[in-house]
Amino acid sequence: MDNNKEVLLSVQHLEQFFKMGKQDLKAVNDVSFDIYKGEVFGLVGESGCGKTTTGRSIIRLYDITGGSVYFKGQRIAAGTRSYRQAIIDEKKALKEDLAKLTDEQEKTKRKQQSQQLIEKMKQEIASAKNDHKNCNKIYAEKQAKEIETKYQKLIAEDPTKKDELLKQKKEELASAKKDRLTNKIQMIFQDPIASLDPRMTVKETIAEGLTIRGIKDKNYIDQEVYKVLDKVGLVSEHASRYPHEFSGGQRQRIGIARAIVLNPDLIIADEPISALDVSIQAQIINLLNDLRKELGLTILFIAHDLSVVKYFSDRIGVMYYGNLVELASSDELFAHPMHPYTRALLSAIPLPDPHMEKMRKRIVYNPLADHDYSQQQPTFREVCPNHFVKCNDEEEERYKKEFNL
Amino acid sequence: MEKKLEVKNLKISFRTQAGILQAVRDVSFDLYKGETLAIVGESGSGKSVTNRAIMGILAANGMIEGGQIFYDGQDLVRISEEDFHKLRGDKIAMIFQDPMSSLNPIMKIGKQLTEAMLLKNAASRRNARHLFNSKLALLNKNMDAVSGNEATSVAANKENCKTFDDFCIKATKLNATYDTIHNEAEELKVDVDDFLFLVEKKQNVNAKKEIKNFIKRIDKTISTWVVVNDEKIQNVKANLENGINSLEKNTVTESLIAELKQLSAILNEALNKIVPDFFSLGYYTMRNPEVKIEEIPVEQLNKQAHDFLEKEFMNEFISQGSKAITFSHDQSMAKKQALIDELHSAIHYFHDGEIEEKQATELGRSLSGKVNDAIDRLEVVKNSTEYTFATSLQTAISGYFAGIKHNVVEEKRFEKQTAKHDKLVAKGKKVDWKVAPKVIFDKELGIENIVSILENLLHSYNNDVENEANFSSNEKMEALVVYFKEQAQALVHKITKKTAKARALKLLEEVGIPEPTIRYNQYPFEFSGGMRQRIVIAIALAADPDILICDEPTTALDVTIQAQILELINKLKKERHLSVIFITHNLGVVANMADRIAVMYAGKIVEEGTADEIFYDPRHPYTWALLSSMPDLDTKDKLEAIPGTPPNLIYPPVGDAFAARNKYALKIDFEMQPPMFEVSPTHRAATWLLHPNAPKIEPPKIVTDRIERMKKRGAQLNGQQ
Repeated sequence: MDNNKEVLLSVQHLEQFFKMGKQDLKAVNDVSFDIYKGEVFGLVGESGCGKTTTGRSIIRLYDITGGSVYFKGQRIAAGTRSYRQAIIDEKKALKEDLAKLTDEQEKTKRKQQSQQLIEKMKQEIASAKNDHKNCNKIYAEKQAKEIETKYQKLIAEDPTKKDELLKQKKEELASAKKDRLTNKIQMIFQDPIASLDPRMTVKETIAEGLTIRGIKDKNYIDQEVYKVLDKVGLVSEHASRYPHEFSGGQRQRIGIARAIVLNPDLIIADEPISALDVSIQAQIINLLNDLRKELGLTILFIAHDLSVVKYFSDRIGVMYYGNLVELASSDELFAHPMHPYTRALLSAIPLPDPHMEKMRKRIVYNPLADHDYSQQQPTFREVCPNHFVKCNDEEEERYKKEFNL
Repeated sequence: MEKKLEVKNLKISFRTQAGILQAVRDVSFDLYKGETLAIVGESGSGKSVTNRAIMGILAANGMIEGGQIFYDGQDLVRISEEDFHKLRGDKIAMIFQDPMSSLNPIMKIGKQLTEAMLLKNAASRRNARHLFNSKLALLNKNMDAVSGNEATSVAANKENCKTFDDFCIKATKLNATYDTIHNEAEELKVDVDDFLFLVEKKQNVNAKKEIKNFIKRIDKTISTWVVVNDEKIQNVKANLENGINSLEKNTVTESLIAELKQLSAILNEALNKIVPDFFSLGYYTMRNPEVKIEEIPVEQLNKQAHDFLEKEFMNEFISQGSKAITFSHDQSMAKKQALIDELHSAIHYFHDGEIEEKQATELGRSLSGKVNDAIDRLEVVKNSTEYTFATSLQTAISGYFAGIKHNVVEEKRFEKQTAKHDKLVAKGKKVDWKVAPKVIFDKELGIENIVSILENLLHSYNNDVENEANFSSNEKMEALVVYFKEQAQALVHKITKKTAKARALKLLEEVGIPEPTIRYNQYPFEFSGGMRQRIVIAIALAADPDILICDEPTTALDVTIQAQILELINKLKKERHLSVIFITHNLGVVANMADRIAVMYAGKIVEEGTADEIFYDPRHPYTWALLSSMPDLDTKDKLEAIPGTPPNLIYPPVGDAFAARNKYALKIDFEMQPPMFEVSPTHRAATWLLHPNAPKIEPPKIVTDRIERMKKRGAQLNGQQ
């Protein structure tokens, strides 16, 4: 792996369950991936496979059930299910062991052991809850500390400019305190009609984030709004209009403007082009591409149109029923699809070529017939450099052989 | 190939507050039997409006200003709502973009599927009986006429027709029973195989219940021609029964598996047997009720019955029928020949001279009568132009005179209101109402409409005269017999609640919905998007339509589901010989689906051709733009998006509508509308670039590169084969 790349977002063992009657619906089940700074990470899969839920969990629209999400090194979301489950399991095991053991000494030893473990888990839960609740505060404090040390160093280097530097420091500290880490992640939604308030003008919609952040200077807000409107290819006259006066493509541009006005580092684009005409789709993709270069954005691109994902993304993760089944760079994934589900997905892409289309055979993915997991359960592993597949030993061998790796 | 649907010079406008919006401007296309026509274009290009006009479900403010839509001898533009009830959903079905809005949220899926079947069944059977009888009566009448109405031959003809009627219906009934039993056996085999597969994969199965169910169903498959009731099947049955009685827990024993395999083999053998020739058998059993047909092997029986029918009845009937058809055809041709001159003079009358209302109406009426009289009613495939001529012409003429009268009134109203408005404004008052724009009937357009109707008929007559040499009465007679068989099938096809449910379950399975028995009793909200779309397709297919209109059926679905739905539509199209109109904005999805593609922009068809021609040799800049704005798997360069938005069709541009967004636009594109230039017999495009004097312009690089790549790959693939 390229070690020079900075990990911007790290998702570890993410679990998102929904209560559905007596059972849990495991919408996302143990998903882990990293997103590097400046890249476009595509997440594909059929509807209902949990890709949107993953996106929404990252931006904390849902409280996650288990696992952690790290953004810029700070844990911003944490779930406690795995720890709670561990405690329950431990208690059960203890009961069983105690019934078996006869020696009093051993019994107390076992009890102590489990006591320790439960204590540890409880600490984990507390820390997760703390991170989940106070991540913005912790991050702000960390930023403040960094600024403090930075200026101490600067002042030590050049004591003559002390007053000036102190003034600068004060300003920076003030803005750092206001800065919320979670604001650095923004989202673009699928349906441009449903995601815009019909009773708010474009300016109000875009400026809402700024006002909530505590900016009261109207001129500054106006300037910012006009600036992002210009960036997304609209003009300042549009600011006073209402969403219904725009076409689908323009509405999606407003959604993008709303997302970038807060200078985010990461944008979660949840099927931003699925609801648009083909010709408009190209406009929006080009726009996102330009913005990415201009603002150094990192994008988590959730979509189901594989040719667009291939064109737009650097790396692609394939999801199937709440699990990540394959992860690789986009060229690698299309050249050597390993997991049978990925193959099925790739074989379903319609191509603008009648001859090829007539030859194309769709592969149907049938988990029962394609895998034999009776011997060994699959795990998510690196089959070849930078190419991860969910498989077991036997399958790993087979995949490697197939592509002569 | 048989034309199923013809759209000619269709013009549709919408009355809006801002003025008249010309949504469809002169669109013509044909749809042949068993083909898929894809209509591609941006939203607002008029593709949906065109197809809503075909279905007769235009919005209330929409009006069809001109043109015709021919289907089965009817002009869909002019028929009444009452007549549309017989077509809509029954003959022409539609799948909408958003499945949720086309399903009733408070009705179970099963009810929604069977409702139309049950409601329409009685009516369609009555209709089939009527069609069967009227055609046979007509044939009978012509047979009589051939023989000069002699008493003996009249009696013989009557007898013949009655016999034909009797045994045709009887044969179809036999066939229907056979089909149900055959289906039963087929389903049983599939279920048994599934069960065996699951057992082999060591999945949990409820063995006792399933096998009991199989045993129950074996009886239903036993009949003369499917599973023969012999020792073998009885043995299997008995063994299975013993097996499950001694079954402990729910695990399947080896011996049971062996028996099930045996059952599957028997069923397989039964399903692959030769199908009896029921049409001949109907006659054979009618004439020889004493013969026990069960005892004769099927092949021998087929031959026996077939020969018997030919010798005793069919040869005679066919020759008589052929004569009758020739007679009727000749008569109609003679009338048509005579009418051609009259049509010419009528065209002249409407074209140049001053038209007087009384005279014109009289002329229209007499022409309509004569044309109606000249129709060869024995033809199975109705010539829509002839059948719709009378109503089209008369409405066009009366519309013309009504329009002229209306114009006077409208002018007056407009002047009055404008004067009032201006007066108020002049007084300095604040006026909060607008003068409604003038709705003026275009006189020239009216004349053009009338003349085009006459010319269409003349064209069709000339065609008939040219094709006179190809006329074959035997072929026509064969087609007629097929027609009778079809009607008999529709007549016999009786649907009860039980059969409707069985059919609905089968449809659900056909469209790929697992566990249809459970799904049958669920509500739409319990389904995912892809599943809902499948249900909509199943409902559309429930009535066995001729034409299926798919309005962006996969736009809201993801890739795998999209591929499944496309494959499903393709499969059903092949099985049922459907004609499909496929509307989409994504050229990518139609490469496999479409036989022909029409690209629409701003209410006009700008390019039309076979799928190969559109993808490998696109000519219109708009097609280039569409192709270059979508990435494929090899695209690395920046996409070329189409700048701007489509024009406002309240004020349609004078020249080529795409000129403003087109970087290849010539000067003339802004001044004059390009005509359709023919590239090949099947490929036409409306762009001045195809004019011989136009500068040579290459398509954008992204398109040429892709075509290059595709051709290379195609050559490689051919090399491999």
